[in-house]
Amino acid sequence: MADQASDLLKDYQAMAQQSWESWTRYLQQQATTATNPFASVAPMPHAGASNDLLARSMAALKSYGEWLQGAASSGLGQGGGDWQHALQNLYASLSGQPFAHAFATLDSEAARSFGQMWQGWLQANQSGTAGFAFDVEHLAAFGYTRERQLQQQALAAAMREYLDSANKYQGLIQRANAEGFERLQAKLAELGSSNHQIESLKGLYDLWVDGAEEAYAKIALSEEFRHIYGLMVNAQSRVRELQQQQLEAYCRELGMPTRSEVSALSKRLHELRREVRAKAAAAGSEELMALRAEVAALKRQLASKPAAEKVTAKKSATRNSKRAVEEEVVVRRAKPAAAVAARKTVVRGATRTRK
Amino acid sequence: MFPPLRLDPAALLGEISAFQRKLAAGLGNLAHQLEPEYANTPREAVYREDKLTLWHMKGQGAPTAKTPTLIVYALVNTVWMTDLQEDRSLVRNLLEQGEDVYLLDWGYPDGADRWLTLDDYINGYLDRCVDAVRRYAGVDAVNLLGICQGGTFSLCYAATHAEKVKNLITMVTPVDFQTPDNMLSSWSRELDVDRFVDTMGNIPAELLNWVYLTLKPVRLNQQKYVGLVDILDNPKELVNFLRMERWIFDSPDQAGEAFREFIKDFYQQNKLIKGEVVIGDKPVDLGMITQPVLNIFAEQDHLVPPDASRALGRYVGTTDYTQLAFKGGHIGIYVSGRAQREVPPAIHQWLSTRN
Repeated sequence: MADQASDLLKDYQAMAQQSWESWTRYLQQQATTATNPFASVAPMPHAGASNDLLARSMAALKSYGEWLQGAASSGLGQGGGDWQHALQNLYASLSGQPFAHAFATLDSEAARSFGQMWQGWLQANQSGTAGFAFDVEHLAAFGYTRERQLQQQALAAAMREYLDSANKYQGLIQRANAEGFERLQAKLAELGSSNHQIESLKGLYDLWVDGAEEAYAKIALSEEFRHIYGLMVNAQSRVRELQQQQLEAYCRELGMPTRSEVSALSKRLHELRREVRAKAAAAGSEELMALRAEVAALKRQLASKPAAEKVTAKKSATRNSKRAVEEEVVVRRAKPAAAVAARKTVVRGATRTRK
Repeated sequence: MFPPLRLDPAALLGEISAFQRKLAAGLGNLAHQLEPEYANTPREAVYREDKLTLWHMKGQGAPTAKTPTLIVYALVNTVWMTDLQEDRSLVRNLLEQGEDVYLLDWGYPDGADRWLTLDDYINGYLDRCVDAVRRYAGVDAVNLLGICQGGTFSLCYAATHAEKVKNLITMVTPVDFQTPDNMLSSWSRELDVDRFVDTMGNIPAELLNWVYLTLKPVRLNQQKYVGLVDILDNPKELVNFLRMERWIFDSPDQAGEAFREFIKDFYQQNKLIKGEVVIGDKPVDLGMITQPVLNIFAEQDHLVPPDASRALGRYVGTTDYTQLAFKGGHIGIYVSGRAQREVPPAIHQWLSTRN
């Protein structure tokens, strides 16, 4: 049975590899064609970037395919006896990182590329000072380039700090992987004791994901993780800050507008907008307050008059109002110049009536 | 007691081959997909300012509700989660129930919006949208339906502009930002947010999406896409999947200044429940919220843990407080089948007795 399984596995591995390569090629062709209708004439300069993005998107499936292959070749399907040993084989074959892709993206998309970029800079910097037998990073700066030396030293120190924290972070991720595996084993043992069995690799994979997520969540909520996460992000910000300072100095030398200048202008514009809006709102509010005060005064005035006078005033107002409407009708029929004068009369009349 | 793994070699290879076949066969479907559309419920723009648009959503018939409901979404995603697809649309369901629905679409901030503050968002944009709805619908006060961070904004608004809010509904809204199971909160605690924002300017959506993925890295970076293989041959399911992917990753950048304030005041210092938040010149006291409040949260929410939302009941001043726990996650509360059956009718019923 073991030989038969071994042959099957070899066949499978060959087929899986062919299959993976063929559909990756297919997708890459699709992507290139889709982004560049002239691909057959002249390759686009960004075709590589497009393929890279596609590869990143498909990496989850590729990674799962590799996991399946690892599981198939670990001996998990060759007799149910020593499942723990087979599982250990699988874990070891995956280098202790069964979900390498999923966890790798924790720092690949935003941070690893950042780290790689600056690691390159750090190496270049070190190679430029290879002749020195002492620590350039902590060498006292002097001379015409003193300020720039200090900037470079600060940047190198920040980069080291970032790499240190990123390594600590990776250590926590590795611990999550290891604890996830322990949880998987515990879950399987629990299944066995309740006479339940897993009969598919997908079932095993899903259970492993559960274990991995539980272990990760526990670590990710810990004080230690919080601290290292903060260190890593803050170190990254520090590197970015120093790098921007250097870049701005170069830009100024070249007579180019800098990020901080644009940002300062944008801030001033924003503050101006807020000020204008606040003044407009205050003016509107003052007008409203004045109108409210006038209405209140009118109400008080009306309330202070004797009842009989109010009735007279009301009747008078009605008459005036009717007259106003009649006048308005006349006005609409009148010639323009007369109309304006008549309207003014009506408005004044109405105001008087209200008083 | 049985061994927990019963993996037959032939079945195992069959499973792996089936996976490869499904993947290869489904690639054609993946390669020729157009961008999936949202539900696109008919709508009319009734107010625009800078990047935002206020939409009046149109149902089949005239609304029967007297008070319009304004949906306020978070800044970190688009409001189209509430109108995702025809058969999964909170908006459509509310319209069918007779509600008069308005959506606040914040738009996509760019460098010009770098200095927008929470004051600009809440006392500015949101207030002017509420005024626009009041004018358009001819009412003194509106119902606010705030979602996630939009719920937090709605709480701040209702506490400081009480006369303009008739009823308040919060969905998956963080109130206590420091519950022990809040991973985002834990990670942000030691962040030097000043340096972070100073060096980043606006916070890129891609970076935030990456942070969200790292809350459940294996499930969200890998297991989800392994599941995709099973639906590659099902055009309807595939389009639904891709539509969700569109919504998840088509996210706006965050205005740097508002982000800085939100992280500091809400996540790092948990000021909302302490009554210490000040938006512009307006102190926010949740005790000032005396309008009826319906608080809906998801029991399996990994972004806003249930306890973070439940806390609202302890701090609002209203005597008319209703809490609704939904069995599902942060996204499922809008798009799952059960959500369609349970959530919009519950909202409508609650509103109908208070309009």
